[in-house]
Amino acid sequence: MNKKIKRIFSHSEIYLFFIIIIFSIILTSINPSFLTLENLFDLIKSSAGMGILAVGFLIVLLSGGIDVSFTAIAIAGQYISANVLMATGVDNIYLAFLISCSVGILLGAINGLLISVFKLPTLIVTLGTLSAFHGALLAFVGTKAINTAELPDCFKVFGHNNIFVLTRADGTSYGLSVYALILLGVVIMSWLILKYTMLGRGIYAIGGNRDSAVRAGFNIVGIQFFIYCYVGFLAGIMGVMHISLLRYSNPMYIVGTELGVIAAVVLGGARITGGTGSIIGTLLGVVMISILEKNLVLMGLSSYWHQLFVGLIIIIGVSITSYQNKRRGIRSLTFR
Amino acid sequence: MLGKYSKTIVLFTIMVGIIIIMSIFIPDKFLTVINFQSISSQIPEFGLLALAMMIAMMTGGIDLSVVSITNLTGVIAAVILTKLVSPQMGEGLITLIIILAILVAIISSLVCGLLNGVLIAYVGVPPILATLGTMGLFLGIAIVITEGHGITGFPDKFLFIGNGTIWIIPVPLIIFIVCALIVALVLNKTSLGLSIQMLGSNPVASWFAGISNNSILVKTYMITGLLAGISSVIMISRVNSMRPGYGYAYLLTAILVIVLGGVNPSGGFGTVTGVVVGVIILQLLQSGFNILAFSPFFKKFIWGFMLLLVMVINFFVAKYQQSSGKLKIHT
Repeated sequence: MNKKIKRIFSHSEIYLFFIIIIFSIILTSINPSFLTLENLFDLIKSSAGMGILAVGFLIVLLSGGIDVSFTAIAIAGQYISANVLMATGVDNIYLAFLISCSVGILLGAINGLLISVFKLPTLIVTLGTLSAFHGALLAFVGTKAINTAELPDCFKVFGHNNIFVLTRADGTSYGLSVYALILLGVVIMSWLILKYTMLGRGIYAIGGNRDSAVRAGFNIVGIQFFIYCYVGFLAGIMGVMHISLLRYSNPMYIVGTELGVIAAVVLGGARITGGTGSIIGTLLGVVMISILEKNLVLMGLSSYWHQLFVGLIIIIGVSITSYQNKRRGIRSLTFR
Repeated sequence: MLGKYSKTIVLFTIMVGIIIIMSIFIPDKFLTVINFQSISSQIPEFGLLALAMMIAMMTGGIDLSVVSITNLTGVIAAVILTKLVSPQMGEGLITLIIILAILVAIISSLVCGLLNGVLIAYVGVPPILATLGTMGLFLGIAIVITEGHGITGFPDKFLFIGNGTIWIIPVPLIIFIVCALIVALVLNKTSLGLSIQMLGSNPVASWFAGISNNSILVKTYMITGLLAGISSVIMISRVNSMRPGYGYAYLLTAILVIVLGGVNPSGGFGTVTGVVVGVIILQLLQSGFNILAFSPFFKKFIWGFMLLLVMVINFFVAKYQQSSGKLKIHT
C-alpha cells in the first residue's frame, strides 16, 4: 500500500493535478459559477482542439524532435476543406474531415520527408514549413474570411452536436459536446500506438537515445516519417473542430497559438530531451492552460498577461525537468 | 585552396548574379539611389539580429528570443523617450534622456541575454526550449507594459540614429559595420571566440580542455542579447514608433540567412562574412520582391521555401563531399 502511494507521487503529473484542484478552489471562491457541470462541459468543448494538438506535439517531443508547423497545417486543413465544400456544394461533415485530414497528412509528410530522409534539424525545418505552408495558403488559396452565413450547414450542426443533454431548472438545456468523444478517441488511439505497438516503443526509443535505437534495429526513417504524418492528421481533425466551434473561418487564425500548446505539453511533464512524457500529463497541462486562459480576467488581470504567463510556464516547466535531468547526469558521470 | 572560403565565394557569386539579373530586368527601379538607400537602411536592424543568431548557433544552440528582446528593449526605451521628455525641456536635458534611454535599452537586453544564458548553462535547459519560453515571456512583458498599443513620437534628435546620414552613408549602416567588425574580431582573435567555436564543435571535449562551458554560454547569450538590443534602438528610431509584435518576420529570415551564410546549425562553424553576404542577398531579393509587388503572404511562402531548399541543397553538397573523400568523419 505504502509503495503504491509512493509510486503515484513519483509521477510529476500528480503535482499538476493538485495544482489544478487548488487553483479551481480559489477560482470557485471568487466566482461560484466556476465549479458547475455546465462550465466543465464548456471547458471540455473549447479546449478539446488544443488537447488534440497537444497530443500530437507530445508525440513529436517524445521522439526528441520539435514541431512548430502544426498550427499552419490545422488552418490549411480547415480553410481548404471549407472552401472545397462551398465550391462543390456538398454539405457533408465527413467529407470535410476527409479533406482536412488528407491535407494534414500530406503537409505532415513534407515535414516528415525533410526530417527523416534529409536528417535536417526539426525546429528549423518546421519553422520553414510553418512559413511556407501558411504563406502558400494565404497566397494561393485565399485570404478571405468565411462568415457564418456562407459556411456550409454541416459545420454548424456538427458544432452543436451533443452526446447527451441536461436541462437546467429554468428549462434551458446544455450538454456534453461530441468534441469530448473525438478527443477521447484521439487519446485512446495515441495511447494504444505509444504503449502497445512496436512503432510507439520506437518513438520512445528514438527520443531516449537515437544511436541505441538504430542499433536496436528500429527503422528511424520510417518512424520519424510516421510521427510527422500523424501530427498532420491530428492537426487536420483539429482544423474542422475549430471551424465548427467558431462557425467562422479566417485563414489568419490558429497560427500563433503554438506557444500555448507547447506550454501545455511541457507543463504536463514531458521531457524536452525526449523519451519520457505521458498523455495524461499532457491533458492535465491543457486543462491548466485553458483554465488560466479563461480566468485571467477573473483573477483581476487583463488578457494582456496571457502571453507573459505562457512564457513563464514554459520556462518554469522546462527548467524543473531539465535541472533534474542535469543533476542525474552529473551523478551518473555523463556529460552534456 | 578554395576549401574554407568555398561557401563564401559561392555566396558572393550568387549575390553578384542577383544584382546582374535585377539590373537587366528591372533597371529603372532597381538601379536607383533611393532603392539602394532603402536597402542599406534595412540591412542594419536585420543584420544585427542575424549576427546575434549566428553567435548562438555557433555554440550549437539557437536564440529564438532575439525578436522578443528587440520588442521588450524597444518598448522600454520608447516608454522612457515618451514619458520623460516634454516639449519645454532644454536641448541638453533631452540629449541626456536619449542617452539614458539607449543605456537602459542596452542594459535590459543584456539582462534578457543573461536570463537565457543562465537557463541554458546552469539550469541545463535545451536552448530551443529555453529561448522559446523567453520568447513568450519577453514579448509578454512588452505587451503588458504597452497594453498592446503602439508608442509613437520620439524626440527629433533620437531619430538621427535610424534615419540620419553621415556624408551619404546612413548612420545605422555605420553602426552595423562597426558591430560586424567587432563580432568578427571577437570570434577570430580572442580566446572567447575560440572557446565559442570549440564549445560548438564538441562541448565535452571543450569541457575536458579546461574551458568553463557554462560561463562561455552565458557570455554568448549576453552578446546575442546585446546585439538584439542595439538592433532595437535602430529599429524604433528608424520607424519612430514601437509596437509589441513588430519584426516577427525577422525570426525566420534571420535563420534563413544563417543557413544560407554557411553557418552550421549544429554548431562550431560560421563566418561573419558569410552572414553579411547572406543578409545582403536577402535584402536584395526583398527589394526585388517589393518592386515586383509580391504580396506579404507570397513572400512568407518564398522565405520558408528558400530555407528548406537551402538546407536540402546543403545536405546533398555535404553528401557529395563525403563520398568524394574531402570531408570524412561525420557523427
